[in-house]
Amino acid sequence: MKTFTHPLISTLLSLCAVTLLGVAQATEAELTVHTYDSFVSEWGPGPKLEQAFEQQCNCDLKFVAAEDGVSILNRLRIEGENSKADVILGIDDALLEEARATGFIAEHGVDTAAVKADLAWQDKHFVPFDFGYFAFIYDSSKIAQPPTSLKALVESEAKVIYQDPRTSTPGQGLMLWMKSVYGDEAATAWQQLAQHTVTVTKGWWEAYSMFLEGGSDYVLSYTTSPAYHIIAEEKTQYKAAAFTEGHVAQVEVAARLKSSQQPELAQQFLQFLLSTEAQKILPVTNWMLPVVDVELPDTFATLVQPKRIGFTPQEVAAQRRDWIKEWRAAATK
Amino acid sequence: MLSQRSAGRTRRHYLGYLALAFIIAPTVLAFAALTGFARQGPDWALLGDPYLLGVLGFSLKQAALSALLSVLLALPVARALYYVPQLWGQRLFLSFCLLCFVLPTLVLITGLVALLGRSGWLTPLLGEDWNLYGLHGILLAHVFLNMPFAVRALLQQLHSIPDTSWRLAAQLKLSGWQRWRYVEWPVLQGHLPLLSGFIFVLCFNSFAVVLALGGGPQATTLEVAIYQALKYDFNIGEALLLAWVQFAIAGGLFLLMVRLGAVQWLSIDTASGYYRPRPMGWRRAVHGLVYGLSVLLLALPLLALLPGLFKLEASIWQRMQLLAPLLTTLTLGLACAVLGLVFAYCLLLPLRYARWQQQLRRQWLLEWLATHALVAPAMVLSVGLYILVLLTLPGKADELSWSVSLVLLLNVVVIIPFALQQVRPRLLQFDDQYERLCGVLKLSLWQRLRVEWPWWRHSAISAFCLLLVLAMGDVTVFSIFGTQDWMTLPWLIYSYAGTYRMAEASLTAVVLLLLCALIVFLFERGRRA
Repeated sequence: MKTFTHPLISTLLSLCAVTLLGVAQATEAELTVHTYDSFVSEWGPGPKLEQAFEQQCNCDLKFVAAEDGVSILNRLRIEGENSKADVILGIDDALLEEARATGFIAEHGVDTAAVKADLAWQDKHFVPFDFGYFAFIYDSSKIAQPPTSLKALVESEAKVIYQDPRTSTPGQGLMLWMKSVYGDEAATAWQQLAQHTVTVTKGWWEAYSMFLEGGSDYVLSYTTSPAYHIIAEEKTQYKAAAFTEGHVAQVEVAARLKSSQQPELAQQFLQFLLSTEAQKILPVTNWMLPVVDVELPDTFATLVQPKRIGFTPQEVAAQRRDWIKEWRAAATK
Repeated sequence: MLSQRSAGRTRRHYLGYLALAFIIAPTVLAFAALTGFARQGPDWALLGDPYLLGVLGFSLKQAALSALLSVLLALPVARALYYVPQLWGQRLFLSFCLLCFVLPTLVLITGLVALLGRSGWLTPLLGEDWNLYGLHGILLAHVFLNMPFAVRALLQQLHSIPDTSWRLAAQLKLSGWQRWRYVEWPVLQGHLPLLSGFIFVLCFNSFAVVLALGGGPQATTLEVAIYQALKYDFNIGEALLLAWVQFAIAGGLFLLMVRLGAVQWLSIDTASGYYRPRPMGWRRAVHGLVYGLSVLLLALPLLALLPGLFKLEASIWQRMQLLAPLLTTLTLGLACAVLGLVFAYCLLLPLRYARWQQQLRRQWLLEWLATHALVAPAMVLSVGLYILVLLTLPGKADELSWSVSLVLLLNVVVIIPFALQQVRPRLLQFDDQYERLCGVLKLSLWQRLRVEWPWWRHSAISAFCLLLVLAMGDVTVFSIFGTQDWMTLPWLIYSYAGTYRMAEASLTAVVLLLLCALIVFLFERGRRA
């Protein structure tokens, strides 16, 4: 977007580049990474990470995009040992146990000591690369006094849009949030929330775009969403509501596969994800928080810094289906 | 001599059956891949699950209501157009009706939200409790997509009232009510169940609209439930059960309709109808009012897209690279349309022969098989084939050439029912008039094509445009088989919107809408020429 090259010139250039690469490829190793599509879009982190990693690895990094995190996992389940992927990148902590259970994930062998202490990362298979706290976003030019707790929001009459926990990771995040705050009372709380829910959408963007068009007072997203509006659009009115009960986090992870022909290269890439260089790219392209301490644009200091609550990946894996059934039954009434 | 004749016929048949096999293969392979991969069949135990029964109930309810409302609302509009042909912009309105039917759902949904969403233009008039999402929203969208279709179909039927009936009605001095009862009703009556049935099937299988406007678990259709089961829980047993239930209901209904006859809504005008009552005074005013209202109501969701455009900065054009996706979409659409038309012609060969030989059962079977893609759950088809490709051809799914071919192939399968509907009537008409002669002349397939071509050229051209627009709007197939190496316009809308770029998304939607409108306009000109 910063370059305004004529399309024809850029096509010619890229053709030349492809030809050159073709020659170079004969000697270069290829590393295939399965990820989700917004990660590799031209404004996502993919292109920048690719450039940075290729400068140091003497290899060709190739991203293959699936629709979302769940699709990456489903594809792994189908392809199994025949997968051409060396690395999968972009499933989150709630799906992690299911991915591990497939038996196709190798230990990462990466030093994760630099990972922020709050995340308490011990996992031997998965390397975290960014994370975010779920939060309800509102327009501060319209709402002066947002609720200060999840309970207050559920009991209010404010119009809310959230995502379907069966099809969207923020939706699933809200489900975990409700369970941590309400425990066995969650069903009643879901019914209460349903009274003032405008709609439950399939994915994050439907919900978020409806909210931006004035479709609701609150929308479920991340604490980092306001950073996008400030940095990319210079709009300061969108804010995340801080809740006293604490916020549920989503940690995005990567892992290498047992079937990979390039285990060292894959490991090098996982290590690269934790480097200062990569961690500085992710927050301003994927709009999530870095997992190691790096210098960030000032805007990030203004974001809500919540207390983390929630469940371990094991707990989620064990009870997800029951919790979804509970939500499904309560929200239908 | 006789053997030579039947040899030509057999060769034609082979072509037809080959095409048929090609159309059925994806469905069979998809179901086989799912069953084989999961090593389990449908999970029949779920039939008693109250949630799934709720889903089934809702699917049926919304489809029935959508069909009923579409037809009931279309009736007065069709009558207005019939009785007062001088109504201003009538031709344009009929073209617009067609545009509504083929409109990419993404564009419609954006428009409806801009109009009736929480901060929509009209929302303040609707009171505090109004909520677009849920049954309301689904019905509104379905009526918008299908009512115009019903208007065209009903108008076509009304046009088939012979002049003699009207003369007789005039001589007998029939009242308005009697005219409706004895002149109009008989031509509509046989057609109404068929038309409602067709709309019912389309709405029963509705996916994008329900997903976008359903508003949560209380408004889920079978197709959406299949999507959730397959994609997120990866519960193939559940998905297969739902797929069979949907296939059985929609397919059964469709089979019934095939037996009843085809809905004709785009076939060549057969009416001579220059003699029909010309209502005057208040009756005429009522017709005008009905017409005006319908124009207004149908135009509103699309007009609602416009104000958003004025908010855009001029620099947006430079930032967006629309040309490549636009050309890709057009090329893909053109390829699908050509293939769809060729396939439709081939599929009709054995079907026409069966009809000519009066083998009714065979004709119905062929017809059902050729159009089965209309009722087969598209999600199951796509995901099943995707699993098959991943399992049998590792790594190929990411290659550009495979991705493009698969998207093309599946889109062709999906649009063929519409192609058949378009060209069938005219070719059958040809058979009625010239089949005997063709038989006597022992024309080869090539010679036959040349003789037939001038006869069905217009329906071929119009079918071509229809297929083009339908294929250009695809997102379902692309969402499964597309890769990041190429991009179509509808998918671009998704990607822009998915990354906070709403202005770009709405601009792309308008570009797609204009492109579709242009093609529909050409289509209508092609039909009339």
